[in-house]
Amino acid sequence: MGLENLKTILKSNNRTLELKSPIIGASGTYGYNDEFGDFINTDYFGAISTKGITPEKRFGNDGDRIFEVQGGMINRIGLENVGIEAFIKEKLPVLKSKNIDFLLNIAGSTVEDYEQLAEIAQKNEIKAIEVNVSCPNVKSGCLEFGLNPDSLFDLVKKIRKLYNNFLIIKLSPNTSDIKALAKATQEGGADCISAINTLRGLGIKIDFDGKNFHRKSVKGGLSGSCIKPVALYMIEEIKNAVDMPIIAVGGISKLSDLFEFLSVGADAFQIGTANFIQPSICTDLAVELSNFIKENNFKNIEELKRKIKETK
Amino acid sequence: MKTKSNFKGKILNIEKIAKDTCKMDILSPMEKADAGQFISILCPNTTLRRPFSIANFENQIITILFKLKGDGTNYLSSLNKNDEIDFIAPLGNYFDIKNKKALLVGAGIGIAPMLFLKQTLNKKNIENYLITGFKSEDEMIKGSDETVVGGSVIDNLEKIIQDKKTEIIYSCGPIPVLKKISEISNKYNIPSQIAMEKIMACSIGVCRGCVIKIRKNNEIINASVCKDGPIFEGREVIWD
Repeated sequence: MGLENLKTILKSNNRTLELKSPIIGASGTYGYNDEFGDFINTDYFGAISTKGITPEKRFGNDGDRIFEVQGGMINRIGLENVGIEAFIKEKLPVLKSKNIDFLLNIAGSTVEDYEQLAEIAQKNEIKAIEVNVSCPNVKSGCLEFGLNPDSLFDLVKKIRKLYNNFLIIKLSPNTSDIKALAKATQEGGADCISAINTLRGLGIKIDFDGKNFHRKSVKGGLSGSCIKPVALYMIEEIKNAVDMPIIAVGGISKLSDLFEFLSVGADAFQIGTANFIQPSICTDLAVELSNFIKENNFKNIEELKRKIKETK
Repeated sequence: MKTKSNFKGKILNIEKIAKDTCKMDILSPMEKADAGQFISILCPNTTLRRPFSIANFENQIITILFKLKGDGTNYLSSLNKNDEIDFIAPLGNYFDIKNKKALLVGAGIGIAPMLFLKQTLNKKNIENYLITGFKSEDEMIKGSDETVVGGSVIDNLEKIIQDKKTEIIYSCGPIPVLKKISEISNKYNIPSQIAMEKIMACSIGVCRGCVIKIRKNNEIINASVCKDGPIFEGREVIWD
């Protein structure tokens, strides 16, 4: 069964990214896709966004990395990854051999880190990169670029110079002015925005054993269905500020979520935390969306998008 | 390694077997599982799935044991016979069974994989001795050769190792117990295989949420408890 009616084209001024469906596996929830083996069928995925890749291999954070909260979870993985060299050598051939479309998610601590990663992506003819300027889990860099419009503009411009294919910037919600960040992204020359990354959060658990209290806490990035209203708000703000394709991410787990995000201007979707609960969620959503389009006599996703956007 | 799948199973039996402790039998299409592996159950009232060691697998029936600890296990305990549950299985690696005189040590609910392992060893006619420990009499779960109530399961371990001429130790329980097991196995120069536990998100090795540090080929690396584990050699684990 094909899902031709889901074909999605993200179009900026100069470049396009063609996806066979608008459903993308969010960074950090699909690894490099080689861990899954035949457990997950990615045939209906528009793409997967890889685990955030840094110039050097990273071990990530020590201690507890996961904390469950009502309607979501907090993680502090700390960008554990194999590093760009190992990615190109070991992971890229697997993705290519399986014919899996992917966004290379990159993260750095310095401008030079991002430049180096962009150059390598260009050299290896990687079709799309998603730049993580918003990881709340590493001590230096990353988030700092993402929260200041001027430094974000500079960073995007520098990456743009070195990378000629489809450039996506993943924005942080941990800001009071998402519009300014969106504008900086567009002016810097990016093609697309993905939003939102995780929100800063602190999970605390206090147990009492009859005598003493025991406190456990995890500070990190909050994700899951509880952040969906924030994502919807932010995407509407972004849409009002700039004219460029937007990939929505933040608490998506069902068909009605897709509609809600389409109504604020999203063009594609990333599914994150929901993968941990239902590993087949990306495929399930793609099939459900395709069936909905078919059963309700829409021509394709584009027509559905238009119809939903017209709805006041 | 066997292929994991997302299954729907039917609860054949659920009963309280000790204080705050339940046993659940699930009829499942899963074909094979080995001692040490676990299943990850969908609990609709929680964000994340919950992992449970397999306490037995026979005639397509998976047995799990669980202690009521929070929202996930409270949900499971509210289920009834014939209810359906959604789980991913079989997950993780398994005990690498050696033809050696085995000492099995289970602390608290850590008895679960030990019961499965004991049965596996019995079928292979490998001599084994299972000792388990529980905080109190009413928390005791049956099935061991020796049960310690109130004290610690490790107190008499060295004597048992000498008496039984133990050649390998397998264990599951809280971190302090596993750490001690690893120390004892080093002291007596016998191998140990321990089942580690850490809060998991994906339970299939992707998110890197449940990693621990281990030493492999003289190098310190991150290993995920859910995929590279849960079973590790005692001597390779780097304790915090």
